[in-house]
Amino acid sequence: MHPTSHSDPAADAGSPPPDDAALALYLHIPFCHVHCTYCSFNVYTRRERLIRPYMAALRREIALVAAGTSRAALSVYFGGGTPSLVPADEIRATLEACGRAFALTDKAEITLEVNPEAADLDLAGLRRAGVNRLSIGMQSAHESELKLYARLHTQSDVEHMVRRARAAGFDNLSLDLIYGAPRQTLRLWQESLRAALALEPDHLSFYSLTIDEGTTFERWLRSGRIPLPDPDLAADMYEWATDTLAAAGFEQYEISNWARPGKASRHNMQYWRCRPYLGFGAGAHGYAAGIRYATVLKPEDYIARIEAQSAPGPFPFSAAVDWVERIDRKTAMAELMIMGLRLTGEGVSYTDFARRFGISLDSVYGPAIAPLKAAGLLASDPDGRLRLTRRGRLLGNQVFMAFL
Amino acid sequence: MHSGRAGSSRRYFAVTWLANNMDQAHIRNFSIIAHIDHGKSTLADRLLQITGTISEREMQEQVLDSMELERERGVTIKASAVRMQYQAHDGQTYEMNLIDTPGHVDFSYEVSRALQACEGAILVVDATQGIEAQTLANLYMALEQNLDLIAVVNKIDLPAAQPDEVAQEIEELIGLDAADVLQVSAKTGQNVEQILEAVVRRIPPPRGNPNAPARALIFDSHYDSYKGVIAYVRVFDGTIRKTDVLRLMASGAEIEPVEIGIFNPDMQPIDVLTVGEVGYIATGLKTVRECRVGDTITQAANPAPEPLPGYKQAKPMVFAGFYPSDNDDYNDLRDALEKLQLNDASLVFEPETSQALNFGFRVGFLGLFHMDIVQERLEREYDLDLLATAPSVEYQVVLRSGEVLTIHSPADLPDESAIAEIREPWMAIEVFTPEEFIGPIMDLVTKKRGIYTSMEYLDQKRVLLKYEIPLAELIVDFYDRLKSATRGYASLDYHFLEYRPEKLVKLDVLVNKQPVDALAMIVHQDEAFHKGQRLVSKLKRLIPRQLYEVPIQAAIGKHVVSRANVKALRKDVLAKCYGGDVTRKKKLLEKQKKGKKRLKMIGNVEIPQEAFMAVLRLDDDD
Ligand SMILES: Nc1nc2c(ncn2[C@@H]2O[C@H](COP(=O)(O)OP(=O)(O)OP(=O)(O)O)[C@@H](O)[C@H]2O)c(=O)[nH]1
Ligand code: SF4
Ligand SMILES: [Mg+2]
Repeated sequence: MHPTSHSDPAADAGSPPPDDAALALYLHIPFCHVHCTYCSFNVYTRRERLIRPYMAALRREIALVAAGTSRAALSVYFGGGTPSLVPADEIRATLEACGRAFALTDKAEITLEVNPEAADLDLAGLRRAGVNRLSIGMQSAHESELKLYARLHTQSDVEHMVRRARAAGFDNLSLDLIYGAPRQTLRLWQESLRAALALEPDHLSFYSLTIDEGTTFERWLRSGRIPLPDPDLAADMYEWATDTLAAAGFEQYEISNWARPGKASRHNMQYWRCRPYLGFGAGAHGYAAGIRYATVLKPEDYIARIEAQSAPGPFPFSAAVDWVERIDRKTAMAELMIMGLRLTGEGVSYTDFARRFGISLDSVYGPAIAPLKAAGLLASDPDGRLRLTRRGRLLGNQVFMAFL
Repeated sequence: MHSGRAGSSRRYFAVTWLANNMDQAHIRNFSIIAHIDHGKSTLADRLLQITGTISEREMQEQVLDSMELERERGVTIKASAVRMQYQAHDGQTYEMNLIDTPGHVDFSYEVSRALQACEGAILVVDATQGIEAQTLANLYMALEQNLDLIAVVNKIDLPAAQPDEVAQEIEELIGLDAADVLQVSAKTGQNVEQILEAVVRRIPPPRGNPNAPARALIFDSHYDSYKGVIAYVRVFDGTIRKTDVLRLMASGAEIEPVEIGIFNPDMQPIDVLTVGEVGYIATGLKTVRECRVGDTITQAANPAPEPLPGYKQAKPMVFAGFYPSDNDDYNDLRDALEKLQLNDASLVFEPETSQALNFGFRVGFLGLFHMDIVQERLEREYDLDLLATAPSVEYQVVLRSGEVLTIHSPADLPDESAIAEIREPWMAIEVFTPEEFIGPIMDLVTKKRGIYTSMEYLDQKRVLLKYEIPLAELIVDFYDRLKSATRGYASLDYHFLEYRPEKLVKLDVLVNKQPVDALAMIVHQDEAFHKGQRLVSKLKRLIPRQLYEVPIQAAIGKHVVSRANVKALRKDVLAKCYGGDVTRKKKLLEKQKKGKKRLKMIGNVEIPQEAFMAVLRLDDDD
C-alpha cells in the first residue's frame, strides 16, 4: 500500500471530483521587498502600502466566491510573493473569512510561506490564528549564493526562524532549496542540504534553477555575467539528494518534494491530483467546475475590480478573473497524466483513470506509454499504478510530452 | 517573371488607353539589367511614376518586387513585365513594355529569358561602385541577343558618386561612348525622363510580321487555381485574340483561352495582343506539363509552320535532396514542385529515395541562393515543411567497365572497387576587386583548391582576377568568404569550364552505427581526414542529446577517420509545477514537443535539419 489510503477522500487521483468535493484555497500575496534575481513570479516591490487594502479585498473576494458554493475547504495556502510581510492580524482576519465562507475543518492544512529575514514576525499569533504549516524560503546555506539570488536573509536567520517556529508550536515546517544554480558545485549543494537537514524540517522542496524570461538572471546570462548551469551536474545533485534524504528517513512523494511520513502537503497534492482549488488575489490561478482561470496581475487592478463588484458571479468566478480556459475531456486526461505522474509515490492509478474517464488508460495512452517503458522512464507497478522510474524523474518532460 | 501582383483585384486609373493596340512602330520592348543592387527596381519605380502607370497612392519602393520574399530580403528574384504608355517629346504616344530583372547571379536565367522578349536593354551602373561582375555578365547576354543598349549611371545623388569616372569606365570596358551615358538618380528621379526619350530614339520597334500566322513565345508562367496555367508571352508575329483556339506547338495542347491580357502591373484583361506586344494568356490548363516556358503559341486554325527558337534549358549547378518532414506530404511536395516550376523555369527535379529520409526529390539549382529561395517559396507558398540535404555538385564517375555515370548525390556513388576515376566540375571565375584585397583573395582561392589564371587592371585601383576552382568548393561558402575578405567590395562571376579527374573519396557518416546516406559527402582525399573530424564534431554539437548515448563516426570505406559520442540525456524536467503553473507548463511542453517534431527520426535517433547542412560550414572556426 502507498502512504495515501483510499479512505481519504482526497487520496485517489483519478476518480471524478464530485460537485461537493472539498476545495483547496490558494491566496496570493504579490508583495516583496526585493525582487530576487531568479524569480519570475507575479510580485511587486515598493507596494507595501497596498497590503491592508489588498487583504481587505481578498476577504471580500473569498466571501463573494463562496456565495456560489457550499463546498468545504481542506487547505488554505498563503503563497507569494512574501506572505510574511502581512501582519498577523490580517492573516487572522483572512482565515476567519475563509472559515465563515467554506467550513474549514480543524484538520485543514493551513500554510504560510515565510521569508527567513522576517525576524519580528508574530509566529505565536499566526499559530493561534490557525496557521499550522510554514514553508520557509531557505534557498541556500551559503552567503555567496544568497547574495547572488538577492535574498535578504542569512543562514542564521533561517536557523533563528526554525527555532522560533518550533517554540511557537509549529510541528510542520518545510524548507525550500535551490540546486543546479550557476557556479554552484556539488560540494556547495551538499553543504546546503546538510545544513537544512540539521534543522530537522518535516518537509523539503528542491527546485532546480531555471533561468526564466524577464528575470535578472536572464539578463545576466545574456551579458555573460553568469554561466548557464550544467544539467549533468544538476542531475548529480538531484541523485545525491535523493539518496541522502532516503537515508535520513524522508519519503519522496513528488518530483521536487520530500516529507517525513504523513507530512506531505495536502494542499499541493490537490494540484497534482487535478482536484479543484480556488485562487484568490492578484495573479492567482484556480481550477474548479472544469475550468482553469486566472485573475488580473496588478494588485491595484485587483483591488479596484473587487471593490467594484456588487454581487457574486457564477461559481468560481470573481470580478478579478481575467483569463479562463475550459478543460475538455482530452485535456483533462493529459493533465491528469502530466500532473499525476509528478507524484512519484502514488503515480497514476489505472482503475482511478478508468473510473474518472470511463475508458481505460491503456486504450488512450498505451502507444504513448510503451516506448517510455521500453526506455526505462515509466513503470506499471503490480499495485496497478503507473509511475516514473528513478531515471524518469529526471527526464519528466520526455514523458509528459507524450501525453500532449 | 511575375505580373506585379498577379491575380489581385486592384484597379488603376489609366486603363482605357492600354486596351488600344499600338501600331508596331510605336512599341518599345526593353529590360533593365545591372549588377545586384545597382538600382534597377528603383529605376523602374520612377519610370512607372513618370508614365502615370501607377498612381502616387499606390506607389511604394521597388513596387515590382511584389513577392513577400523579395520585399523581406530587398532583392529582386523574379523578372517583372509591365506595360507603360509614354507621351514622348516628339508629341507621339508610345507603348513601352518594360521588364525589371534580378541582379543576383543565381537568377541570370530570368534575365536571359527576359532579354529574348526585348529589342533593347537599359544597363544600369551604380555611380559609387562602377562596373561589377554581373554588369559584364548581363551585358554580354544582351549583346548575344543583338539588343540595343542604353547605359545609365545611377545614384548620382550620393556624395560618393563618381558619375564621370564610371561613364569613362563604361566607355573603356564596354565600348559605349561616354557622352551617350545618361547620368541619373533613380531615387530622386533626376534625369530619369531622359531614359524614356532615349528608349524612343535608340531602341528599335519590334520587327515581326503582323499578317503572318501568330507566334507568341512563352517566357514565363504561373499557376492560378481558377484560370489554370497563365502563360506570359511576347508576340513575335501575327495577332492573338481571346476568341481564337490556340495551340502550344511543342506539347500539341489546344486551348480556348480563359482570358488574355496585359500587365500594368496587375493583370488586366484585353481582347487582342498584336505583334510586338507583351502580355499573358490564361490557358485554363490544369495540368502543368502541357505548358512549358520556351514553347510557342500559335492559332490552331492557322498554325505557324515553325516555332520560335525557344530557350536553352538552364543548367543546374548544385543539387540537393528535398524531403517532406512528414512523409505523408510527398504528393503535395511533387505538386508544389511542378507548380513552382511554372514560375521558376530553371528548376529541375526528379524523385529520389533515401534510406534515412524516405521519399523525396533531387532538385537542381543555379546556386545556393536559388536553393534557399526555392525552399522558402515551397514552404510559404505551398505550406510545406521541408528537410533539405546538403547541396552537392554533379560528378562523373568512370567505372572500370568503361561506363560513365553521372551522379547528383554522394549516396549514388558506386562501390569504390568499381570506380576507375571520379571527375568533378571545374569553374572559371572572375573576381572584380579593389587591388588592396588581392592578397586575401589569393589565400582564399588557394585554400579552396583554386588555381590562379590571370590578373588585369581595370583602372589604377581595381583589378580583375581570374581563377579556376572546383565547383564543389565554390558552392560551399566561397561567396560569403569572398565578401567578408573584401569587406563587400569584390564581386564574382563564374561559368562552367570542364570536368577534371580528381582524387575524390566518399565520406560516410554513421549515426548510432548506421550509415546515414543523406549525410554522406564526396571530398578530396587530402582533406578527407580533416573534414571527417570537423563534420563529426559539428554533428556532435547539432544532434541533441537523446535517451541513449549516440555514437557518431565518419568513415572512408571501412576506415573510421573520426568518432564522437553524443552523451545520453540525463536531466530534462520542469522542477516546479504547482496550481498556477499548469497552463504555462503545458505550453512549454507543447513547444518542446513541436521542436521535437521538427527533428527527423533516423533509426532511433532524432536529427535536426541543421545537421544535414553541417557540411556547408566545415571551415568555420567555432
Ligand atoms: N541614393 C540612392 N539610392 C538608390 C538609388 N537607386 C537605388 N538606390 C538604393 O539602392 C538599393 C538597391 O536598389 P534596388 O532598386 O532594389 O536595386 P536592384 O538593382 O533592383 O537590386 P536587385 O534586384 O536585388 O538586383 C536600395 O536601397 C535603393 O533605395 C539612387 O539613385 N540613389
Ligand atoms: S523568490 Fe519569493 S521573495 Fe523572491 S521575489 Fe520571488 S516571490 Fe519574492
Ligand atoms: Mg530589383
